[in-house]
Order: sequence, then C-alpha cells, then structure tokens
Amino acid sequence: MRTVLTIAMVLLGFFLQFITYFFLTAPWDPVYSNPRIPFAPALFILGVMLVFLAAVVYELLPDRQVQ
Amino acid sequence: MAEQPHALPYGVGRFSHRFLILLAVLTGVVVWGLFAYAHQLAEGLVVKGLRDIGTMGGATWGLYVAFVIYFVGVSFAGITVAALIRLFHLDHLRPVSRMAEALTIIALILAASCVVADLGQPLRGIINLFRYARPQSPFFGTFSLVVSGYLFASLVYLYLDGRRDAALMARRPSRLQGFYRLWAAGYRDTPAERARHERVTLWLALAIVPLLVTAHSTLGFVFGIQSGRPGWYSTLQAPGFVVLAGVSGIGLLLIIAAIMRVTLPEGKEVHVGIFRWLGTLLLFLTVVYLYFMVAELLTTLYTGTRHEAEISRSLLVGEYAWLFWGSVTGLVLGALVLSLRFLPTNVQTRLPSVSPRWPVLLLIGALLLTGLLALQGLDLISPFSATTARWLASVAAVLALLALVLSLPYLSRNLVAASVIAGILVNLAAIGKRILIVVPSQTHGNLLPYGTGWYQPTWSEISIIVGLFALGALLYTLFFKIFPVMEVHAHEEGAA
Amino acid sequence: MARYAMVIDLDRCTGCRACMMACKVENNTPQANFWMYVFRFEEGHYPNTHIWFMPRPCMHCDNPPCAKVCPVGARYKRVDGLVATDWDRCIGCRYCEVACPYGVNYFNWKKPSKNYYLDWQAKDVQEVTGGAVPPYRNPDLDQPYGAERRRTAGGGRLKGVIEKCTFCVHRVERGQKPACVQNCPLFALHFGDLDDPNSTVSQLLRRKPSFRLLEELGTEPRVYYVGGHPPSSESHQIEEVRVRV
Repeated sequence: MRTVLTIAMVLLGFFLQFITYFFLTAPWDPVYSNPRIPFAPALFILGVMLVFLAAVVYELLPDRQVQ
Repeated sequence: MAEQPHALPYGVGRFSHRFLILLAVLTGVVVWGLFAYAHQLAEGLVVKGLRDIGTMGGATWGLYVAFVIYFVGVSFAGITVAALIRLFHLDHLRPVSRMAEALTIIALILAASCVVADLGQPLRGIINLFRYARPQSPFFGTFSLVVSGYLFASLVYLYLDGRRDAALMARRPSRLQGFYRLWAAGYRDTPAERARHERVTLWLALAIVPLLVTAHSTLGFVFGIQSGRPGWYSTLQAPGFVVLAGVSGIGLLLIIAAIMRVTLPEGKEVHVGIFRWLGTLLLFLTVVYLYFMVAELLTTLYTGTRHEAEISRSLLVGEYAWLFWGSVTGLVLGALVLSLRFLPTNVQTRLPSVSPRWPVLLLIGALLLTGLLALQGLDLISPFSATTARWLASVAAVLALLALVLSLPYLSRNLVAASVIAGILVNLAAIGKRILIVVPSQTHGNLLPYGTGWYQPTWSEISIIVGLFALGALLYTLFFKIFPVMEVHAHEEGAA
Repeated sequence: MARYAMVIDLDRCTGCRACMMACKVENNTPQANFWMYVFRFEEGHYPNTHIWFMPRPCMHCDNPPCAKVCPVGARYKRVDGLVATDWDRCIGCRYCEVACPYGVNYFNWKKPSKNYYLDWQAKDVQEVTGGAVPPYRNPDLDQPYGAERRRTAGGGRLKGVIEKCTFCVHRVERGQKPACVQNCPLFALHFGDLDDPNSTVSQLLRRKPSFRLLEELGTEPRVYYVGGHPPSSESHQIEEVRVRV
C-alpha cells in the first residue's frame, strides 16, 4: 500500500511534468508565445513537487495496524 | 511532568545577551535593506547603477544577477554534502549535515529574493512566471528546477532528516514542545521506521544529485547559450558554474562549521576531521575551477574573435583587471592555505611563530583602506585623487597579503583557522568571478560598434545585497535557536 | 500573410537623424531611448577618411534571440514577422536586452512621465506655454494589435518594462509605413512586403546586393542594408551617443 502509493505519486509527478513541458506550455514553434493552457508552468512545478512529496508520504503514512 | 527543566542541547531556546545584540544588529541591517528596496520600488530601477546596453553604454544586469548566481552557488554545498554523506556513508561528517541543509534552503530563499529585487515589475514576475513561463527560456529551468524543485527537495530532506531529533526533543518539556511534536508527526524511532527513513533518504539523495547538477547547469546556460554576447557563449559555462558553486558553498560551510565549533557548548562535536575532509574537497574543486578558467581564457585569447579577445583583454589588463586578478589571487591563496596541512610535520614545527597581533593589525589597516576606497568608489566621499586612490589600493592589497604571509605559520598548525581563512578567500573570489561573468560581456561585448560602457553599483544596490546577507544570517541563527544543529544523542536526552 | 521587411539604402542616408526624431514623436519614447538610432561612422585616418551613416532600428529577426529567452512570452514573434513586446505582460527581467546582439532594447528605468525631455509642469516651461500641456497622445497606440490582440504599440508606458521598436505596428496594420520610413527625406528607408514581388523592398533587394547585420549569428534579421558595407573594426562613431537617464 505504502510503496504503491509512493510509486504512483512519483509516476504521476513525472507524467505531469512530461505533459506540461511538451504539450501544455508554449510549443517550440517560434511564432507561438502563449501556453496552451494558462498556468501550465504551475502544473509543471506541481509535478516536480509531487515527486518529492512522495518521500514524505512514504515516511509519514501511518501503519494500518495502529494500536 | 518533569519539574527540573532540562536544558535543550545545542543552545536551542537559549538567548544570551550577546546573541540578542547580534539579532538586533542583523534586524537593523535587514530594515535598512528593506528601506533601500522601498526606495527602488518607488523610484524605479533608475536608483541602480544599471543602464541599457548600447546607446546608454551600460550593463543591464549587475550586482543582483551576480548575487543570484552566488546564492544559488552557495546552496550547492548544502544538499550535496548531505547527499554525499548519505550515499557514501560518510558518517564522520554527520555533524555538518543539518548545517549544510539549512544553508541550502536559506541560500535559495535569498537567491529568489534577489531575483525579485532585480525585476522591474516584481509582482507581475511572481504571477506571470507561474502563468506564462516558457520552457524555451533558460529562465524556466532556473525558476522551476532551482527555486521550486531544488528548494522543495531540500525542504523535504531537511524535514525528514530532522524527524528523529524532533521526536527526541519533544520528549522534553519546553515551550517548543508542540512544534517538535508537529515536526515529528508521530515518529517513535522504531526499527521499522528507522529502516524506512534510511530507504527514503537514500532515494532522495539519489534523486537530488542529478537535480543538483541540472539546476546549477541551467543557471550556467542562462549565460552560456547567448551567442550574441562574447564572453558568455561558451560550453564551459555550465560546468564552470557547478564547480564554482561547489567552491563558494563549501567555503561558506567551512566558515559556518567553525563558528558552530567556537560558539556552541557542544562545539567539539564538529571535529577536525570534518574540516580536513571538506577542506580537501574544497581544494580539489578550486584547482578544477582554476583549470577551467585557464582553458577558457586560453581559447578566447588564442583563437577568439575580435570581440572575445576584447573581453579577455578587459579582464586581464583592462578595466576589470583589478577584480579579475584579485579573484584569481583569492582562489590561489585559498588553495595554498588549504594545502598547508600537507606540509610535513617537521617543517610545520620549524616555521617561526609570529604573534597573531601583527597580521590582525595589518588586516585592520587593509580593511580600513578598502572601506575608504569603496566609499570613494560609490561617489559618497572623495578625499583622494584618482592616482592616490590607485596607490592606496595597492597599499591595501600589500598589507592584506603581508598579513596572510605572516599568519601562514599559525595557519599551518591550526586547521580550523586555515579552513576559515580559505573559506573567506574563496568566497570573496567567487563573488568577484560572478560579477566578472555578468558585467564585462555587457559593457565590453557589443558586437555593433557602440563603444565601451561602464557600470558602477550604487549605494541602493549594495544596501539591498547587504540586507539580504543579514536576512540570511538572521534566518539561519533563528532556525538553529529552535532546532538542534546536530543530531541529538539518544542517551543524552536521558529522562525519557 | 505578409512578410514585412525594411530595406535601408546606405548610399542615400545622410545621417540627418530625421527618422530618430519621427520615431520619438510617433511612439512617445522617453528620454535617451532611441528605438531608431543612426550611427555616424568615420573610417580611416585623416586626411583619408570616409564618413558614412547607418540607421539601426530593431532587426525584427526571424530567429529572434530576445523572443527565445523571454521567460513569460511578453516578447514574441508575430506571424507577419514583427517582433512585438507585450508591455502588459513584461516582468522587467531584461533578459531580452542581454540576449539581443544589436542593442535595440530600452528599459524604463524610471517612470516615463518623469522622463521626457520637457517637463510641461515645470514653472519656467509653463511661463512660456501659458500653462498649456499638449494633450496629444495617439489613441491608436492604446489599441490591441495582431491576431492575438495584444497591446504592443507605442512607448513610454510603465516603469520597469522593456520597450523597443515595433515597426510602428499601429501604422503598419492600417497599411501605412512606419514613421521613420515615412519621414525619411531622402527615401533611404523602405518598408514593405517581401512576398509581394512588386513591392519596393522586393525590387530593391533584386536590384542591389544586400547584407544584414551580424548575419553569422543566425538571427535572420528582417532589416536589409543595400549600397554599403557592414561596420567593421575600422568603423568608429564620430561622437558616441552616451545619454543616460
């Protein structure tokens, strides 16, 4: 459970980074200057943060058999 | 609960008179910096010495950008050292681990503030970067990887690394108990938790090291991929940034470790072995950086275009020669001081000992002269003519050099003092080199014949930078007044 | 879509700097900002000297280094080739300025209203003018332009943003020529559509050999020079313009 959740967060973070970097922010076409959706860079940063937040989740997630 | 309030370790929560005076001074400097910033906000960036490249003959990036690079560079040491300790099990270095992590975080906060101070429209900057930032711009990496990713990763690392100590501290009654409980978040130091923590820090360290190289390289690429600025356009820019970042960061970490060793009651835990190890790393990085510098200069001087050669000339013999040679001297002397400990013991003992009074006196003289010259440089007072000023500058340099030479025997016997001196030297040199990366290519690197420009920082820029340094020192000292700077020993907290 | 370009005939330029003046009047640029600038060069040594003049607008590059580095897309390339600055979005980091090899960007170091040549509110000025303050500000400058409808025309907007030559986007979109071209008394400046084979610029470029500034950097400028040569290490400005705000 713990491991699955952590890996899922890491993967989600990288996925978010990937799609925001290549598809949602401004494309490399020089004529294009606006991100395809606004606040896409914020999403990218969220992806970066999610990856590292996974470590906190891994450590802090309480055990299921709490006395 | 416990009637007798057991004092918390590492001076946590204890505010001596001297410490309060330090706090007051630092706060005063921060307030002065804020005043300077308010002045800049009201008047516009015209209060800085920066002007447009081209017909205005100025530099449009100056001290602020140089110090952004410097602060980001300093942050390198922190998390690198922490990650290296974890990855290579350098357990004897553990006492500096948390100092290093905190240094990273605070340096990154300062770097971010420095960026905001440089923007013409700071409020827009904060919003628009999140809204419109483009991956094509090298700033995207600086802003997303350095400031958010790197800062966040360091915070996570510091937080997780501190949980065990927080749990131990929370067992003792104090006003901060609730804070420690919150930090510990249910950590009970069971073997399972410890194993989990080990696993997490390993993975974090593994993730942080590549992030670190990427982040610092990104900042190098801000300059390195500008083909229109001779002196910037260089493949070595990014690796050079990473190495100089290590130099300045580890230099500063050495200074901080020495301060902790002297001021804390448990200071002896920051043992000499730490200084030896970090000193060797610093020596290595300094030599690598010098090698990079020579390689780059040789290329531009030997085969560079007219404009590249002009920049190199302005560094070597021209307008910026004093700063360039000063920085090189700083790096070389720093390396020299660090390598003193490789002297055979019989040579060390045979060196004549000089009373420390003389070097200190000489140094004070040199500093006074430098201060006077700096005031004249800012056009605040001008008691000397230009020629006299030049002579006095050489006198100050000779005095400082003499002071260093006279203290060499002492430094060869005292590793900690040598590390501090080397740390100061390489940090001054790093600041100088950062300025030399940013400014000359703008004033002397115009590809169209605009003529050379000039840049002179104003009091307002310098006040803001000094204020930022004070803010950093304030945050750093305050943080270690509420959280132990080193690991708390389980046997030491006793009454549990 | 049009492909706008400017052709500057160096054989015709006499360095009168009327274009600089026209630009300032048209775009309300503050003191010391020269969106259009005319170099006055001297080559050789007395008595064998050669004097020539080179106007320098923004090059409106096809591969603009300034637009590439802009962190927020405030500097952008329009489909018709103009490189525009959205002063509503600029955060004032001045990265475009250090990236530009031509030195055409001007930052508003102070509030533009405090940075004009003549302070109409000043007492001694008001004595002469009788208190009249010229109300003139071209309303066209405040309109949004281009397919993206962004406010990119004119100068002297806000403190802390970058501004530069817009090729007079507000005039070009109405089918007029930029102010500098319109006001050149010697027809040294030409503006037009490269896709139209009958436009003056196309004809000039077919007829005369041309060069562009710093072509080796790969910026692909849209400003062509005919009838002269690029400045070299021999070219020195007669008097360097060194005005600061």
